[in-house]
Amino acid sequence: MFVAPNLAAVAVFMLFPLGFSLYMSFHNWDVFTPAKFVGLANYRSLITDPLFSIALRNSVVYTIGTVVPTILVSLAVAGVLNRKVKGISVFRTIVFLPLAVSSVVVAVVWQFVFNTDNGLLNIMLGWIGVGPVPWLVDPKWAMASLCMVTVWRSVPFATVILLAAMQGVSENLYEAARLDGAGELRQFVSITVPLIRGAVAFVVVISIIHAFQAFDLVYVLTGRNGGPETATYVLGIMMFQHAFAFLEFGYASALAWVMFAILLVLTVVQLRLGRRRAAQEEQSWA
Amino acid sequence: MTAPRNTTAGSTTKEPQNITASHITASGRRTTNASFGFGNPVDRRTLLRGAGALGAASLALWPTACSSDDDALTFFFAANPEEADARLRVVDAFQRTHPDIKVRVLLSGPDALQHVSIYCAGGKCPDVMMAWEFTYSGLAERGVLLDLNTMLAHDRSFATELKPDSIDSLYQTFTYEGGQYAFPEQWSGNFLFYNKKLFTEAGVRPPPGRWDEPWSFGEFVDTAKALTKRERSGRISQWGYVDTWVPYYSALLFGMNNGVPWSDPRMDPTHLNFDNSSFTEGIQFYADLANKHRVAPTASETQSMATTDLFTSGRAAMALGGHWRFQTLKRAKDLDFDITVLPTGPKGHVAQSNIGTTGLAIASSSRRKQQAWEFVKFATGPVGQAVIAESGLFVPVLRSAIHSDGFARAHNAIGNLAVLTGGPAHAEGLPVTPRWPKIAALMDRHVSPVLRGSRPAAALADGLSREIDGILRTT
Repeated sequence: MFVAPNLAAVAVFMLFPLGFSLYMSFHNWDVFTPAKFVGLANYRSLITDPLFSIALRNSVVYTIGTVVPTILVSLAVAGVLNRKVKGISVFRTIVFLPLAVSSVVVAVVWQFVFNTDNGLLNIMLGWIGVGPVPWLVDPKWAMASLCMVTVWRSVPFATVILLAAMQGVSENLYEAARLDGAGELRQFVSITVPLIRGAVAFVVVISIIHAFQAFDLVYVLTGRNGGPETATYVLGIMMFQHAFAFLEFGYASALAWVMFAILLVLTVVQLRLGRRRAAQEEQSWA
Repeated sequence: MTAPRNTTAGSTTKEPQNITASHITASGRRTTNASFGFGNPVDRRTLLRGAGALGAASLALWPTACSSDDDALTFFFAANPEEADARLRVVDAFQRTHPDIKVRVLLSGPDALQHVSIYCAGGKCPDVMMAWEFTYSGLAERGVLLDLNTMLAHDRSFATELKPDSIDSLYQTFTYEGGQYAFPEQWSGNFLFYNKKLFTEAGVRPPPGRWDEPWSFGEFVDTAKALTKRERSGRISQWGYVDTWVPYYSALLFGMNNGVPWSDPRMDPTHLNFDNSSFTEGIQFYADLANKHRVAPTASETQSMATTDLFTSGRAAMALGGHWRFQTLKRAKDLDFDITVLPTGPKGHVAQSNIGTTGLAIASSSRRKQQAWEFVKFATGPVGQAVIAESGLFVPVLRSAIHSDGFARAHNAIGNLAVLTGGPAHAEGLPVTPRWPKIAALMDRHVSPVLRGSRPAAALADGLSREIDGILRTT
């Protein structure tokens, strides 16, 4: 009885759209005319669509370019925030600030930062003698710029998770390590990181999912077509374009399910690897 | 999926809009939220009582606001803020002559087609909607738009009145597969604005003032060079030319003015002429303005200031755009401008603009078709067109309105009025195909490297031409 409203909400807002999109992925549907069953045609077209391979490649590059730096930076930041030093609360507030800002606002602000002639970044690079970089205009730089903004935006969330995990690591282990003469870095690498592996794995999974679903930041930062040219044409942009610009909802639904399948496989593989490693460690301790 | 006239919404709308539909009434008044006067102390009980009353009032009004029984005619349009005011004057004029028909306006967001598609898909298709030459056929093909011939057949007097006063090419733009899916409301082709003061200061002869007095690509680039000012550091402080339209569309206008139309044929084309060397030479000329001649800013150089602002602030001498910029430029301080025709390439024979039109369509699902018909008749017929002419909102599409004193008065700041009045007759039609959104996305992807100078325009003959033909072949 008590869960009925929530159950209804889940059914209406999650299960129905999920089922409907799966159903639509086997149809041609432009919203206005009746859907036409086409079987697996949408999936077959995806495989031969040259833009799908571009979008997939860009999404993979984007995922690697954001997840790896996010984990490394978050580990470092969480390590610093885990220390008991004066004024740490102010530092924590600053670090978590990007978490509270909407993606669209972030993208708009970074557009100014990336401005070729008058952007903050190029002005600062100018101080050290580096000429203006066409961050968002040149296809060679656009993806790098996008990754930078995403990392900036993702670090606070990852840090929260990793910091919580770090605070659960027993102080005794550090004391023992210090007695054995281990330095700060050694303690971090040999104690902290292995003991928060579960949290790191969680952050990696979540970050990969977020990266594959990237849309809002890209849309505002580099435009509705994932430009310049196809530099930031990721799967999220491709899906939106087909659904809302070309009114090909069936095709977009098929793409959504392919994205889901890719993410499912990645997540399962990662969980299995994680479990196997944990089992190996348990064995080695035994 | 955008009609050009701007990078986003179309016609008259060229910039993303910040005003939501619900904030504008037909009479042009912005609605404001109820607010408490903080100058007077308000105790908590009063505040709570007020909030309760507001809540109760909103609950009472809610069913009306959301009900489909609302008897107002809905009118969807796109406009930049300056245009919106003039547009609402036309709506007010309609309401004065038709007090029995209430009109509720819906102002488009940045992407008009997307916006209207969502309305229609949700079963709330606006009764009357603005239609753009590039995108209306997609809606017509899907049965969203009413064939206006069905209404015209029962209104012979209006048909008789309209026919001799109309400009065929604009009218036919909205004739798709035998149906008439919109009536043209404005000519929105492109031409050049130029800053008279900067021309005088540079000692450059003013450009021609009529479409039948063409100037060449060479003369154009020489003029732009003479008007481009460089500082000692090499930084450019004044540009000879800027583009306030969509660069990858504008480039094609230069191809067209080199003697080759965009597509073949115009309606439901089977081919776009990117494999025609004269067409790509025109595109290359356009790209060279920024990359070779350095008389126009590159994409990087327009990141910090919009091209329209460069022109209004006197930092650009010529600007490509259409009449939709007129209201903005007219309001700019210390800007003395006139207009001129687009230059003609060595293989072009005449100076041409583009069609270049928006119209008014009626939703096939509308439950107020007769009221919608009255509105469309008003805005596209002699009375509404005269109001449009006098307001300076658009270049009207009826001959009587284009050549009216009211239109001339509304544009008394412009010396070369013939560029506007002769525009529709010197405008070439652009492709009309339901597959345009896909073609536009392809063009953005392929023409951008040409405009950036990283690929020659001749390269478009290989990839782009083939890909577009592939899309046009699909049914």
